[in-house]
Amino acid sequence: MSEFAQIVIQIALIIMVALLLPCAYRLFAGPSVADRLLAVDTITTLLIGIIVLLALVQKSEFVVDVALALAAFSFIATLAVARYLSEGRMF
Amino acid sequence: MVTEILGLIFIGLGVFFSSVGVIGLIRLPDVYSRSHASGKVAILGIFGLLAGSAFLFPGTTLKVIGLGVFLLIATPVASHAIAAAAYRSGVPLIQTKRDDLAARSIAGTASGEQQI
Repeated sequence: MSEFAQIVIQIALIIMVALLLPCAYRLFAGPSVADRLLAVDTITTLLIGIIVLLALVQKSEFVVDVALALAAFSFIATLAVARYLSEGRMF
Repeated sequence: MVTEILGLIFIGLGVFFSSVGVIGLIRLPDVYSRSHASGKVAILGIFGLLAGSAFLFPGTTLKVIGLGVFLLIATPVASHAIAAAAYRSGVPLIQTKRDDLAARSIAGTASGEQQI
């Protein structure tokens, strides 16, 4: 990768990290519980993208495994909380 | 060189769609329409970043394809579960023309009788 590509990737990383702040606003100010759950889901999705960009910055392909694990755990957590919200119990 | 330019274009598209989705998450009026915006972040934004990563750094291509397939399966399921949970816990819809779930009354005990 050239120097220009590294600079572009770092700018993209800064923008993605800055996008976490509006999601945190929705997490604190959401009128209903489903809004907050949606904000947490969006935050974890943005974190997956941030980790992929971090793998590009650090030139290490093993960082992508962290994104895989985070995707799996956030999927299970979102389903569990949504089920608790709709039915009153998780399992 | 061409793959680098393609990767940078894909990363730019991913950041653009992520920004659009987060703006929608802030500005849309309803939890159901916000769920739509959140799906845009997951599919278009993260897929752009994954494609850019596969072009720029070919060692990550297999892992990125696996992550993409998992996201393609998991994101609609999670989004649907959040929308169903919001409906069953009684979050009102805005600008409703018709509400098929209320007519079918599968909406559980909390909002089955409730008029939305």
